[in-house]
Amino acid sequence: MSTISKAAPATAPHGGHVADENYLNCSRGFLSWILTLDHKRIGVMYTVSVMVSFLVGGIFALLVRTELLTPGPTITESAETYNHWFTLHGAIMVFLVIIPSIPAALGNFVLPIMLGAKDVAFPRLNLFSYYLWIAGAVLAVTSLLMGGFDTGWTFYTPYSTTTTAGGVIPVVVGVFILGFSSIFTGMNFLVTIHKLRPPGMTWFRMPLFLWALYATALMQVLATPVLAITLALLVVERTLNIGIFNPDMGGDPVLFQHFFWFYSHPAVYIMIVPAMGIISELIAVHSHRHIFGYKFIAFSSIAIAIFSFVVWGHHMFLSGQSGLMNVMFSFISFSVGIPSAVKIFNWLSTLYKGTISLNTPMLYALSFLFLFTIGGLTGMHLATLSTDVHLHDTYFVVAHFHYVMMGSALIAMIGGLHHWWPKITGRMYEEKLGMIACVLVFIGFNVTFFTQFMLGSQGMPRRYYDYAPEFQTYHIVSTIGSYIMAVGFFMTAGYLLHSLFHGRKAPANPWGGRSLEWQCASPPPIFNFDTTPAVGDCYDFSIVKWDPKEQGYYIDRSADPEIAKAEAERGHTHL
Amino acid sequence: MMMLDTIPTMLATLAAAAPAESTPSPAGFWMPVGASTVSGDIDFAMDFINWVCGFFLVLVTVLLVVFVVKYRAKPGDAIRMGGPVHHMGLELTWTIIPGILSMVFFWFGFKGYLDLQTAPKNTFDINVTAFKWGWNFKYPNGAQSEDLYAPAGRPVRLILRANDVLHSCFIPEFRVKKDCVPGRTTNIWFQCDFPTGLDVDAAYGLHCAEYCGTGHSNMNRKVYVLVQEDFDDWVVKQANWLDEVPDSELASIAGPKLYARCAQCHSLDGTQGIGPSWKGLWDRVNGGAGSDGKFTDGKNYKDIIGVGKEYETPEAYIEDSIWNPGKHLVAPFGNVMPTFKGQVNQRGAEAIIGMMKTLDQFDAKGKPIAK
Repeated sequence: MSTISKAAPATAPHGGHVADENYLNCSRGFLSWILTLDHKRIGVMYTVSVMVSFLVGGIFALLVRTELLTPGPTITESAETYNHWFTLHGAIMVFLVIIPSIPAALGNFVLPIMLGAKDVAFPRLNLFSYYLWIAGAVLAVTSLLMGGFDTGWTFYTPYSTTTTAGGVIPVVVGVFILGFSSIFTGMNFLVTIHKLRPPGMTWFRMPLFLWALYATALMQVLATPVLAITLALLVVERTLNIGIFNPDMGGDPVLFQHFFWFYSHPAVYIMIVPAMGIISELIAVHSHRHIFGYKFIAFSSIAIAIFSFVVWGHHMFLSGQSGLMNVMFSFISFSVGIPSAVKIFNWLSTLYKGTISLNTPMLYALSFLFLFTIGGLTGMHLATLSTDVHLHDTYFVVAHFHYVMMGSALIAMIGGLHHWWPKITGRMYEEKLGMIACVLVFIGFNVTFFTQFMLGSQGMPRRYYDYAPEFQTYHIVSTIGSYIMAVGFFMTAGYLLHSLFHGRKAPANPWGGRSLEWQCASPPPIFNFDTTPAVGDCYDFSIVKWDPKEQGYYIDRSADPEIAKAEAERGHTHL
Repeated sequence: MMMLDTIPTMLATLAAAAPAESTPSPAGFWMPVGASTVSGDIDFAMDFINWVCGFFLVLVTVLLVVFVVKYRAKPGDAIRMGGPVHHMGLELTWTIIPGILSMVFFWFGFKGYLDLQTAPKNTFDINVTAFKWGWNFKYPNGAQSEDLYAPAGRPVRLILRANDVLHSCFIPEFRVKKDCVPGRTTNIWFQCDFPTGLDVDAAYGLHCAEYCGTGHSNMNRKVYVLVQEDFDDWVVKQANWLDEVPDSELASIAGPKLYARCAQCHSLDGTQGIGPSWKGLWDRVNGGAGSDGKFTDGKNYKDIIGVGKEYETPEAYIEDSIWNPGKHLVAPFGNVMPTFKGQVNQRGAEAIIGMMKTLDQFDAKGKPIAK
């Protein structure tokens, strides 16, 4: 009988199983990293880059919140400076942080190991994607040196084609290149999942994180080229004065919005669907309980990916597009709510009769459930046409998408980072500090953003430098919340970095996971597995056993007849 | 049966009571004051969605907390292998119930939107032009204003245009909003039965909701709702106000009134703004101090103003700057000023020029200094 140990795994002595040679120490030097084809090292480089961007985007968020402490000037006299801040905050967080955070950073590390593969299907393309990301980020920095940009992250025309801010073209080209980074990663993952699954892993035996990454990759490949076209047209209009979007030259600004949201609405799901995948893993593993409704969760990811392409018009309810279109887009928009609700209730049912280990990754997963519920439910107010007319372009929308993009997507990313941290670094972080930081982030987040629902419904439009005095109380509360959140995140950075040097060595399987990444050493050896292992049901935790000597779990592979069967079949095919 | 019989009567009473309200619905926790004929329905939809969503949030949160508390692993606990992993009935339940509820939400939104979208036939039309960064409201008799004045008790339609970038016309108390799109015409309508008179504190608010740059948060204006007779008086007076100002008072009375439109970008005391300050302007255009100031095309004031040059007189240059502001740009300012052709006429331009000539008689805010 497997048991939950009191000591699991927080206070175990040193001596967890660590392979002598792993992907971190197999070669040394700067070149061995920047020229690596190893998906794990590329994943780590992405993680570091994304976290640095998160710090920069977060600093701009704090500047914005601090400026809004008082009506009128607070820390800058200039509305233009404020406009640059919120634009940079949005653009960095969307294009450099959230979109690449889960697929490119965590996905790169975890996906091939979950498949029992040595690497992704195209390792060179993978490294190329990373350098495209770097190129995009460098162009964004170049844009700052050339005068920045104040267009909002949405680059709406004709403002973006007429503004005097000098950095619009470099940043637009940067986002164009980032798009290709995203497309290549998506293609790589699609092929990897199709071709490199191990024996025994049928489509419906895949861990749900892989289903989510698969749905995400589909959207990345199909939607991102439209963004590339749109941005290319924008650059053409700004540099060559060819009228496409600017009415003075015979163009149509609403056309830009159609193009932009045809990408950017699916992009919202490019951000949230992989987060949902992480949550499926965290809840199952840390409840030590078979995921409830596997097929419904898997199909709901695909359903969301498909619906995401036909709801872009709800960003344009007030743009002057026809009333009939508004009614149809409103109707279809509601359909996205249903697969989201299905997921929430399946995760809740997974908790039922589970054996719940309340640790840092699980706390993040539970935070996600609460925050995503609020984020999803407030989507109802915005999909409903008559209430949207009042709420559109107000702080209500700001609050809604922060609940979904930050409270859900980023919280899941941070939760996933904690979940796979022992695997990535081979070290355990301080569990108590992790839980305190998570609670701080959770409280800070709600204080910051729940107030913004009332701000918006009371009628405060978004992107305002100055506001009416009656809104100040809400703004003060919101700003205090953002400081609490900042403390939580800096604390997280502190104990995670500390663990790299002083953390206890991690066992191969600290949480009791069943999927393949928990069956190789922490950190994994350079080629992950000597031979491709066979798999059974990756949510059947009955063969996961506690090993007091290792202070970790192990998987009793001989106890699973399905693994034996799969291995026997492999014998027949002489692999 | 008694109960059932009384329901229609109760409904009838409620329906009769509705139009008898004499004050707008007060601000609540969520929604601000509601003062239009559609605000009641929209607030009802909002409340309904809030209650349903509130119920589900509580349901999810309670289940979450109960499960975590009840099934939390204690030291030495065996891993429970119980509990179903699939249940078609439950899956269908939580697919179908949210599906039905969202269709109910859709229906409320659809009906409310039809009311918002379909203006009655007998609307009073006001032309609205949004620009960086202000509004121009033009009434059928030619009167213009910066704040919106509307008659009470009858449907009013705003015909929305923008002459530079996107803006969005938002009146929270009326629950209406629509983008103002350059090159297109959009419109919204409302009917407000609660007159505010000319009282600034009672007036409703009008804001720009689509990001439009530096002055985006300074496009807030008032909405004054006047009973029909007062409105008729106001609109006639407003159309003729400039003509009624005596010539001798043109600079001192009409000047500051018109300057209010300019104050967004042009200071009177030399403060750096979005456009050049008016301080010393008259000297500059008149060949005095600063008249060698450059334009973006490299010329200076002396090159274009004077007998036989592009502008015979400084007055002609200033008039043209009001009507064709992009023609000569004072360095280092950008081409951001909208044209005021059709909004400021010859007499208006004379008033502004008169004010520029006698700037020492005004304070930094444009108020005449009492003698």
